[in-house]
Amino acid sequence: MTGLERILAAVHFTPSDRVPVIPQIFGHAARIAGVPLNRYLTDATVLAQCQLAALERYRHDAVFALLDVNVETEALGSRLRFPKDGYPSVEHFAIEHPAAVAELEIPDPGKAGRMPVLLEAARLLRQRLEDRVLVAGCVLGPMTLACQLLGAERALFAAVDEPEAFERLLDFAADVAVRFGQAQLEAGAHLCVVFDPSASPAVVPPALFRELLAPRLRRLCDALKRKGSPVTWLHIAGPVEPILPLYPDCRVDIANIDYCVDAKRARAAVPRLCLDGNIRSLAFVDSEPEDIVAACLRVLDGAGPGFILSSGCEIPLEARPECVQALVDAAKERSSQL
Amino acid sequence: MDAGLSTLVVHLLDGDSEAALAEARRVRASQPDGQRLLVEGLEAAMDGMSAKCTTEQFNLLEIMLTGRAAMAVAREAFPEGAIPGTRGTVVIATPQGDVHDLGKNITRMVLTTKGFRVVDCGKDCPVADMVDAAAREQAFAVLASGLISPVVPLVRQLRGLLRERGLSNVAVVAGGAALKQCTAEALNVDYVARDAFDCVHFLEGLPR
Repeated sequence: MTGLERILAAVHFTPSDRVPVIPQIFGHAARIAGVPLNRYLTDATVLAQCQLAALERYRHDAVFALLDVNVETEALGSRLRFPKDGYPSVEHFAIEHPAAVAELEIPDPGKAGRMPVLLEAARLLRQRLEDRVLVAGCVLGPMTLACQLLGAERALFAAVDEPEAFERLLDFAADVAVRFGQAQLEAGAHLCVVFDPSASPAVVPPALFRELLAPRLRRLCDALKRKGSPVTWLHIAGPVEPILPLYPDCRVDIANIDYCVDAKRARAAVPRLCLDGNIRSLAFVDSEPEDIVAACLRVLDGAGPGFILSSGCEIPLEARPECVQALVDAAKERSSQL
Repeated sequence: MDAGLSTLVVHLLDGDSEAALAEARRVRASQPDGQRLLVEGLEAAMDGMSAKCTTEQFNLLEIMLTGRAAMAVAREAFPEGAIPGTRGTVVIATPQGDVHDLGKNITRMVLTTKGFRVVDCGKDCPVADMVDAAAREQAFAVLASGLISPVVPLVRQLRGLLRERGLSNVAVVAGGAALKQCTAEALNVDYVARDAFDCVHFLEGLPR
């Protein structure tokens, strides 16, 4: 089976030759290639080469055309600061109050900021890998983009103080995600990870997720599927257990679970939803490879079928390669025991 | 507890700044003692939020709303400046390389309303500056809040830098999404707090 077939088998709970495994390797690919992160994040060819080199090294099941969480907000006018070997951060937010979203226009993914870099990276990766492994792009979910446009503190207060303007901001953010996501699919990505850490129950109450975010996530996932995405993948970090049962109604097919979520309980909450996770990200920095293998086997025991072995969140830049390798090897080792 | 103070606590827990301010004014009209308002109003509200925290119904937005309402009441009750920091001074910062300061700001707010004097060194802060601030302000604890993993090696340096300055008695506490994945031993700190309230509990238990 190919990596893509394994992942689709997990989504559909059908038999597979082994558990699919996706270490969430983003900037770590640059670090192990000895490439400064600011080049990786601004040059599609460099990004694609680093992702391919990481794939060659670890032999996992997916690559990522993914830059950082600032691509959309930069395209909409936020000013970023780029450290030489770290992820950029927002120095000046695009808008100062939620109503100002009326002055923004949906950016053209072919032209705006670094959006074309991501599209080109997706195109290069798909051209090279075809359907052998999953080529994943990435869009920010509505809540996270709202925070990235306005600043997290102002966005969260706006949810309470200016609910109508905040909803317009969420609608705009969802529109941006639809347009950017569809462009990524056109460029060659099999799917776009919808990355929405600010929608976590650690940040906003589950009721706010249900009332304000779930409908917009559903609209986004529907739009991605209409454009040909075979499956959708929602990535929310933190304690997602209270909102997991809402995911199927949001048209989500793969749900990321972080290290703090018990895989067995998550499985009980959504028996027919494919889960991915949930090895603690920092374990790839501070643990030994045998610890990673043991953690993987424990998770696999609890999660049952319909599971993609993965890190709970991003593999840190400074992760020990032998620990990342241990994650991939654990999936293969487990399969040989079946 | 006085009925007015109980009502104040309810409004604070609801995150309703306007109602909390109105109730605080009513309370102060009959009881001008700001200290009582602090202890039985603001601190009680934070204790209520802390209790909610332990039942896993915890999210930043609700704490922010309660914190904002509490700070509005405090600013009016103590117009001369900060709430009296009767429980000692702590230094807080998000270490260099990390600009995510929402967690730090919430922790500062909770600590302030619990009666600590908080010296905020901001975000993207060199650890040497945190140690300087601890020495200058005679802090009994230094708190590092980190969302991303590159700050881990910096946090590990804190205790050694404090020792070099003769500040071995200053406690080091870590928190935030990345740092709370680590053990205290791995970070070379005294404590890794699960959240702002857990941090308060730890600080309250320290000998001073």
